[in-house]
Amino acid sequence: MIVPRPIAPRMLRLAALGLASLLLLAYVLGPVMWLLSSSLQTEREIVSIPPHWIPESPTLANFKAIFATGLGLARPSPAGTDPSSGGFIPSVAANLLPAMANSFIVAVTVTILNLLIGVPAAYAIGKIRFRGRGLTLYAILATRVIPDIALVVPLFLVVRKLGMLDSLASLIIAYLAITVPFSVFVLASFFEQMPDDLDRAARVDGCSRLRVLTHVYLPLARPALVAVGLFAFLASWNEFLLALMFTQTAASQTLPIVVAGITSDFTVSFSFLNAAGVLAVVPPVLLAVIFERYIVSGLTAGAVKG
Amino acid sequence: MRAVTHDERAAAGLLAGLVAVLMAVTAFPILYSLWISLFAVNLRRPNRMPFVGLDNYIAVLSSPAFWGSVGRTALFSALAVAAILVIATLVALLLDQEFPGRRILSACLLIPWAIPSVVNGLMWKWIYDSNYGALNGLLLQLGFIGSATIWLGDSNRTLPLIANAFIWKEVPLAAILLLVTLKSIPADLYGAAAVDGAPAWRRFFAITLPALRPGFLLVTLYEAMMAVRHFDLFFLLTEGGPGGASDVVAWRIYVETFRNLSFGTGAAMSYILAIATLLMSYALIRGMARTL
Repeated sequence: MIVPRPIAPRMLRLAALGLASLLLLAYVLGPVMWLLSSSLQTEREIVSIPPHWIPESPTLANFKAIFATGLGLARPSPAGTDPSSGGFIPSVAANLLPAMANSFIVAVTVTILNLLIGVPAAYAIGKIRFRGRGLTLYAILATRVIPDIALVVPLFLVVRKLGMLDSLASLIIAYLAITVPFSVFVLASFFEQMPDDLDRAARVDGCSRLRVLTHVYLPLARPALVAVGLFAFLASWNEFLLALMFTQTAASQTLPIVVAGITSDFTVSFSFLNAAGVLAVVPPVLLAVIFERYIVSGLTAGAVKG
Repeated sequence: MRAVTHDERAAAGLLAGLVAVLMAVTAFPILYSLWISLFAVNLRRPNRMPFVGLDNYIAVLSSPAFWGSVGRTALFSALAVAAILVIATLVALLLDQEFPGRRILSACLLIPWAIPSVVNGLMWKWIYDSNYGALNGLLLQLGFIGSATIWLGDSNRTLPLIANAFIWKEVPLAAILLLVTLKSIPADLYGAAAVDGAPAWRRFFAITLPALRPGFLLVTLYEAMMAVRHFDLFFLLTEGGPGGASDVVAWRIYVETFRNLSFGTGAAMSYILAIATLLMSYALIRGMARTL
């Protein structure tokens, strides 16, 4: 006999799930909200005890200063200006927008090169049987086990010898090493799942391998391409250690380097520091939230076999 | 036969880019690093580079300071991996349920994963700030502490606090991986157990937890690798301090190489770390595969 489920347990279940969801939201968003709230406070408000969780007089002054100095519309305040009087613009403010531009150039270039190098390689591994296929897969896996810090010393010496220190090119090449193996891995597992018949039918029709790839598989692989492109972009945008070693001046410094510099600078107000952090967070977080579906499926494709 | 050779040639062409990248930016540096680690390279004396054989390795392995940093790395990693496993399992179990708002929740979950580690460091440094930070503010307002605490200045608290920042950023990925494993559990298993009248908690321990094992292995492996090599938060939050309390192996490699400019010992240490990571992954796979 089927008895309709009583209402009370169902309500209880929803209430429990709601409570758990709220807890998770607070855990995930709490720190970020505090970062955001701090970035909108004045230098006077940011040092109140107890802290103001919601700014009493929210201000965009920090962001205005970043954009005005970055675009050359305003000058940083001269040393000796009293920071507590408000409107104090630290000299590092002028470096943030150029650093953001550097980050964009590096991340976009790495993303494009990733697809250009990764797609053909992944297609070969996923769809062609050849000698050395196993070895290639092992090599890719090995690169994921080796810590990036182990690559730092030799890469630094090579980059220095080639006279490429403090250039965006050195960063782009180094980031390819981090991102390409993962891209190939995700894409190869994607190609592998696609039916071989497509390949065979097109080849019988006289298509070359390259045409099969560009005309048959690529249109189908769009979700995987989006995921892989996003991973390459985010990894390059967020990378810190190698950029710390290779860059020396504002000409090549990426956003994480400039933000890290501000973090250890005691003359910069806490509210400005948080504004710089928000600036670095907005692009990757927007991308992640907008493309959540692609990212989740890409991450699982890369991990399940890794 | 012809088809095979043709395929080999096609594969070679398609793989050229990948092979070039792997050779130039991974294989070569690894071999070069091995070479450097056999010399006494110090950038303060760039023209003298005597061959010292395994002296760098002996020096590193016989230094108590190095083993101290190994211990701290192990403690940090163990703390982080254990907490990530517990929290991510809870998150995955929650997201495995159907309820309104689930999709928004899983989109928000990606935010910590997407945040640059530098900003993660900045954010937690500000939260832990001894004067105006959120942690002191919250605990004072709730009455848990009587006066502001200097959180990162306490050498007993430094590693757990840095681990906490690391955990916050790593939980989303771990939860996603565990959620995929959860989704792969055949629904009939639960159906059969429900017919048998097994209560929810028994179903959890008899079906869900054992079925999650491959996910646990994957998460443990991945997060242990990430934790052992982690550098960014140590640089941003404490610079190895206070008094060496957060002096982990990755930090030590950085200091040895770029502050002491001893590239030979730095390279030797990185090599030891890389080999240790490989051995650890191997042991984890073997050990956990046996219990599966």
